[in-house]
Amino acid sequence: MKTNFSGILSLLLLLALFGCAPKSISDNQVLTLRLGAEPSMLNPVLSTDSPSSSVNGYVFSGLLKVNPDLELVPDLAESYTISDNGLVYLFKLKRNVTWHDGKPFTAYDVKFTFDTILDPETNTVRADDYKIDGKPIEFRVLDDYTIQIRMHKPFAPFLNGLTMGIIPQHIYEVVDVNTAKENQTPIGTGPFKFKQWETSQFVLLEANENYFDVQPKIKKIILKIIPDNNTALIAFEKEEIQSSGIPGKDFERISNNDAFKTFRYYDLAYTYLGLNNRHAFFSNKNVRKALAMSIDKRSIVDGILMGYGLPAHLPTSPEMWTYPKRPFFYKYNPKEAINILEAEGYTFDQETKTLKKGNTPITFKIITNKGNKDRELAATLIQKNMKEIGIDVSIQLMEWSSFIDIVNENADPKKFDAVILGWSLGIDPDSYSIWHSRNYPKGFNFIGYKNKDVDDYLMMGRSELDREERKIIYEEMYKLIAQDVPYIFLYYPESLVGLSKQIEGLSPAGPAGLLNPIENIYLSEK
Amino acid sequence: MIRYISKRLLALLPMLFGITILAFFIMKAAPGDPVGMFMDPSVSLQDMERIRSNLGFDKPIITQYFIWLKNCLAGNFGYSLVTGKPALEAIIERLPATLLLSLSSLVLILLITFPLGILCGYKKDSVVDDGITVFSFLGLSMPSFWLGLMLILLFSFQLDLFPTSGFMDPLMYGESFFRQAGNVAYHMFLPLLTIMIGGIAGLTRYNRFGIIKILGQDYITAARARGLSEWRILFKHAFKNILLPIITLLGLDLPGLISGSYIIEYIFSWPGMGQLAIQSVFQRDYPILMTAIVLSSVLIILGTLISDMCYALVDPRITKKGGNS
Repeated sequence: MKTNFSGILSLLLLLALFGCAPKSISDNQVLTLRLGAEPSMLNPVLSTDSPSSSVNGYVFSGLLKVNPDLELVPDLAESYTISDNGLVYLFKLKRNVTWHDGKPFTAYDVKFTFDTILDPETNTVRADDYKIDGKPIEFRVLDDYTIQIRMHKPFAPFLNGLTMGIIPQHIYEVVDVNTAKENQTPIGTGPFKFKQWETSQFVLLEANENYFDVQPKIKKIILKIIPDNNTALIAFEKEEIQSSGIPGKDFERISNNDAFKTFRYYDLAYTYLGLNNRHAFFSNKNVRKALAMSIDKRSIVDGILMGYGLPAHLPTSPEMWTYPKRPFFYKYNPKEAINILEAEGYTFDQETKTLKKGNTPITFKIITNKGNKDRELAATLIQKNMKEIGIDVSIQLMEWSSFIDIVNENADPKKFDAVILGWSLGIDPDSYSIWHSRNYPKGFNFIGYKNKDVDDYLMMGRSELDREERKIIYEEMYKLIAQDVPYIFLYYPESLVGLSKQIEGLSPAGPAGLLNPIENIYLSEK
Repeated sequence: MIRYISKRLLALLPMLFGITILAFFIMKAAPGDPVGMFMDPSVSLQDMERIRSNLGFDKPIITQYFIWLKNCLAGNFGYSLVTGKPALEAIIERLPATLLLSLSSLVLILLITFPLGILCGYKKDSVVDDGITVFSFLGLSMPSFWLGLMLILLFSFQLDLFPTSGFMDPLMYGESFFRQAGNVAYHMFLPLLTIMIGGIAGLTRYNRFGIIKILGQDYITAARARGLSEWRILFKHAFKNILLPIITLLGLDLPGLISGSYIIEYIFSWPGMGQLAIQSVFQRDYPILMTAIVLSSVLIILGTLISDMCYALVDPRITKKGGNS
């Protein structure tokens, strides 16, 4: 009897142990992911599209990389120091690094990469990241494994530019980088080696056995190119791919399925209604404030994003370290909005429910790009909200290039009233190109926002290297912008991601990516 | 005949020249350019301007056209502004997948619609005809993006018979030819089916109408009066005549064979020409667009030439000037 009992007990114990132990690793370490479009070029110096960046992220390494906490940490760099005046950076490089073709990696490759970017003949849009006030930053090789970087004035966003993938000098010095065949067969130093790319079908990568850091556990990565979101979702549910973005309407269903794990997090992005600040009606700050108070952002988030998002009030993201604890915003209050408008000399005709200036009813047009369903729907909700304060809003959907052409036209005043657009942000809070008055009429401050204090904060934020100081600067700036309402910030969308249950070793959900660093990822038994 | 063909081929040159001028200017008249696409706060205007001038977009359009023409005559169609690949190569690498899908669907559609159309036309207003008519209208009215997704849901997701999308399994490269061919066929089933449902519906209606018209002609009545068998009337006398309009149709279809179908390719991730063409339009990838336009105009012109020649083969009236048979 006694032996029997202890037998059962030990069996239970064993079972419990088994349950707790990490899941056994599958023999078949092939990770299949999706690319939403064909990559353009597998060369980090030239490409700007996200499919290329996904592949380049596995194949190339930069001096620095972004860790799951959105911090910059050394990658090809062993360590680095910054001089007290913030003008000279000294990078010590790792010594055991080889290119995928076996050649050693040295400081000359680093210099070559940045020289290529700064070469006017290179068709890269990144050159300006390595210039301060138009003056190029200088990269100097001190020895094979030391590189010195000098600039003429401190520039905080600069370190982000050092996440740029380093390209091999021995390959690219003999070809025209813009049209090189090597842009289709990349050689990098990253955890995965490029193996094969079949146009519009897939990109195949293999683990780099000589990777300088932790050896990846995944042996192969297949990146299938599946442009259609519906097809991709079915392919994911059929487990043809192991990761997929999930539309809001399917998120709950997929979450309830045992074969998958799901994640949600805020992107470094926001969507906004941009008001043409040089337009007669919108040029009045109190009018913009009244409009902001009459848009029900909560109903946009609930109705369009199915609740997977947050009403936005500031030009940043809740995931950013600069996001304030208590953001400033104008509460939704259409009644008060009408009072403000009337105080500004507009009359609200109770009978016809129209807002007028003298005898002319107020109307404006919102333009946005065709094909972005969320923005199209947001436009119609805003149209409804505006109706309530007596403004007749029309909506025009445009093809992307034509739309951008109107917005970016080099003219003052510009020929649009209001636009719905979104910004994706980098991990640095610098937003000079969006808000500085110098970027109008040419530039991304196409709404013509001008606030001298904001201009000053932008310049301070760029030259201050201390993170805490910068946080204060940007919080102040966000508050000013929120008070001025140059945009009506609409929402922060959430990324909804589904992964196969088999994928283990994940980082916490966030904009840096669940599979970052890829070296930690492995597949468990089914 | 040879004189006729060479004359036609010679006429091709000024025509092509006109087409390229028109195409180039219309393309440039569309708002935006490939550099202006970047709506990214991290991209600076200075960089965009520099790239524009590197690519020669700051020159007058007429100069840009002649630069293009000069390169083109030297056999250089330029490089894709998006991928940096030579334009001709970027187009040619899409051909196998496109042709595979379009040719096999064409052959299958013809093989199915001929008997169906003849049956419908011959048994006009019968139950068979009505039944087929209902089905062909159903097939015609289903948009292919919807049909494609439904077929994926049914055959791939519910029944698990076919893969959702793709051309060939990535790990099949290096296998034997027959295994690869089998794998491609396995992936091709659903897109092929989607194309065929729409195509069969359309062409059946066309053939039915052709047969009805021909069967009403006097010579058929005369043949019937001579006591010829229905089989003989149908396949000896009527059949050749319904070939005529079909040949014209196919001649015009030739560029369609290589242009691919964007919607089908998009839904099924098929690596064909349709996707490339549409993306190039949206991205304003001028070199690819111009090459595609030159290529397809040559094919349209050749297609009509070939169908004209086939006409002559099928219908003796056309070569015999003023023939009165």
